Amino acid sequence: MKAVIVVHGGAWAIPDEISQASIDGVKAAACEGFSLLKRGGSALDAVESAVRAMEDNAVFNAGHGAVLNSDGEVELDAVIMDGRTLACGAVSSVKNIANPVSLARAVMEKTDHVMLTSKGANLFAEGIGVVTTPTETLVTEYERKEWEKHKKYHTGVIELFNTQWAHDTVGAVAVDHSGNVACATSTGGIRNKMVGRVGDSPIIGCGGYADNLSGAVSCTGHGESILKVTLARLILSHIEQGKEVVDAVELSLRYMGDRVHGAGGAIAVSPSGEWAAKFTTERMAWASVECDILWYGLNPNEKFKQQLS
Amino acid sequence: MLPVLVVHGGAGHIPPERAKVSIAGVRSATRAGYAVLRRGGSAMDGVVEAVTQLENNPYYNAGCGSVLNVKGEVEMDAIVMDGKTLASGAVSAVRNVANPVQLARLVMEKTSHLCLTAEGANQFARDMGVAEVPAESLITDYARMRWRKNLQPDANPVECQMGKMGTVGAVAVDMEGNIACATSTGGMLNKMEGRVGDTACIGCGGYADNKVGAVSPTGHGEAIMKVVLSRLILFHMEQGQSAEAASDSGLAYMKSRVGGLGGVVTVDPQGRWAARFSSRQMSWAAAQKDTLHYGVAAGEHFTQSIDEPN
Repeated sequence: MKAVIVVHGGAWAIPDEISQASIDGVKAAACEGFSLLKRGGSALDAVESAVRAMEDNAVFNAGHGAVLNSDGEVELDAVIMDGRTLACGAVSSVKNIANPVSLARAVMEKTDHVMLTSKGANLFAEGIGVVTTPTETLVTEYERKEWEKHKKYHTGVIELFNTQWAHDTVGAVAVDHSGNVACATSTGGIRNKMVGRVGDSPIIGCGGYADNLSGAVSCTGHGESILKVTLARLILSHIEQGKEVVDAVELSLRYMGDRVHGAGGAIAVSPSGEWAAKFTTERMAWASVECDILWYGLNPNEKFKQQLS
Repeated sequence: MLPVLVVHGGAGHIPPERAKVSIAGVRSATRAGYAVLRRGGSAMDGVVEAVTQLENNPYYNAGCGSVLNVKGEVEMDAIVMDGKTLASGAVSAVRNVANPVQLARLVMEKTSHLCLTAEGANQFARDMGVAEVPAESLITDYARMRWRKNLQPDANPVECQMGKMGTVGAVAVDMEGNIACATSTGGMLNKMEGRVGDTACIGCGGYADNKVGAVSPTGHGEAIMKVVLSRLILFHMEQGQSAEAASDSGLAYMKSRVGGLGGVVTVDPQGRWAARFSSRQMSWAAAQKDTLHYGVAAGEHFTQSIDEPN
């Protein structure tokens, strides 16, 4: 069976000065995930490693490079889901963790629960020996400056900024050689969010969903809008009804725009390896690898091709 | 057919000595929510009123009477959703609040966010002037006894939980045809600190859409999350299934795919409703056309006039 990985680095108005770094980042993450699939690794391992690569990359708003909340702190959300069993794990509003996606996976594998939040998630991390990272190491100088700048504006203005700026959630979906699908999503949320704000990323069916019977999805964009339409599950329900993967994604994004005026993007893959990367924001950095061909893009309808050696 | 309100007080196997009290509370909460709707109140007002009553009732696993986490503390989840705009508000792992459902509604109405968690939710409550209650005031002797029992190494909290799931929830359609849902819970017995169940997660612990209907579920939270149960049932209704058939297929799927048991209350825009469960029991009640319907065991369906005393 054909193995495929698709990754995104967030759907928003990515400024020109970081567009190349964003493209390079998603390409590297997709290649990293694909190298696992090629060696016979599972979809679950592939999406985790791709998302870790982007969490470690300061150009993306997840892990290192995350945005700051209204108190100037980093609070991270992440989810991972295994389409074989529908097992899933999530963390919300967790601090001082470099790779929330791996902590989400530990919640899935080592507890009876699906989701741990806040201090409880940190206690669990400590309990299983995950190394704590000082907040300062997760914050880039760029983000601290942006946060200071935006702090000066009134809330309404901040929200306006937030509709276009700084939701660069990262995510990945994959199907492995055995036909298993998985998804993972990780984010720092939106800049100047209230303390304890949980967005779509860690919510099953919103920030991501994976089911071997229909496919896997990872979402990005305005979190509150994604939540209202349970975007990931909505896309898969269209696939269940017989829609092509790309049509299901476009239809659902359009519905989100019409019904709750939200913009965003999503990547999806079906168990047979059909995939799509679509968005209604100005830009979304995405990349995909199938059969040693790397596809990638940033602007609407862009699709570049690169043969991997 | 409108207005209509359907309430549940949790799915599980309810011990006979608690079944009577459990059904009495659900009936009186249904009356209170229905009274709001009959006066011309909104579906949102109706479901919040019904759920508030059950949060205040120590026999349910929500608000006062919540189960305790592994450290012996109360951490609660709640959600509300407005079917007209798909606006929603939720809180997860919140402490020291008597009525999490009302705090969830404030998140929906006073912030640009949808979910606030843990200390952030409490900070928001303080900013809103919501009274902070002592943790002790939410803990009953029964909850403490069950917590102790399940600290034993051979304990099975999931199995024991089925004896008192007790999550509470309501769905309603008001006279204008607007739909809403609300769900509130103390979560799972002896859960890890910071565990968030289905209740706070939109699409899992509740969903409401004026075009399709509303669902409030109860049962094994982790299983409900894996199948996004509320949204799943509404997908079936969008495909033309009745509220009852869609509820049954959603619950059957959850059982066969992830081995989870639970129950739901469901309503469609025309006011057709269902209270279905795959667990042994679920205390439920519904009010429509001045008639109160209620039951607790499978197949049970009693009716009486809404104005008759409990």
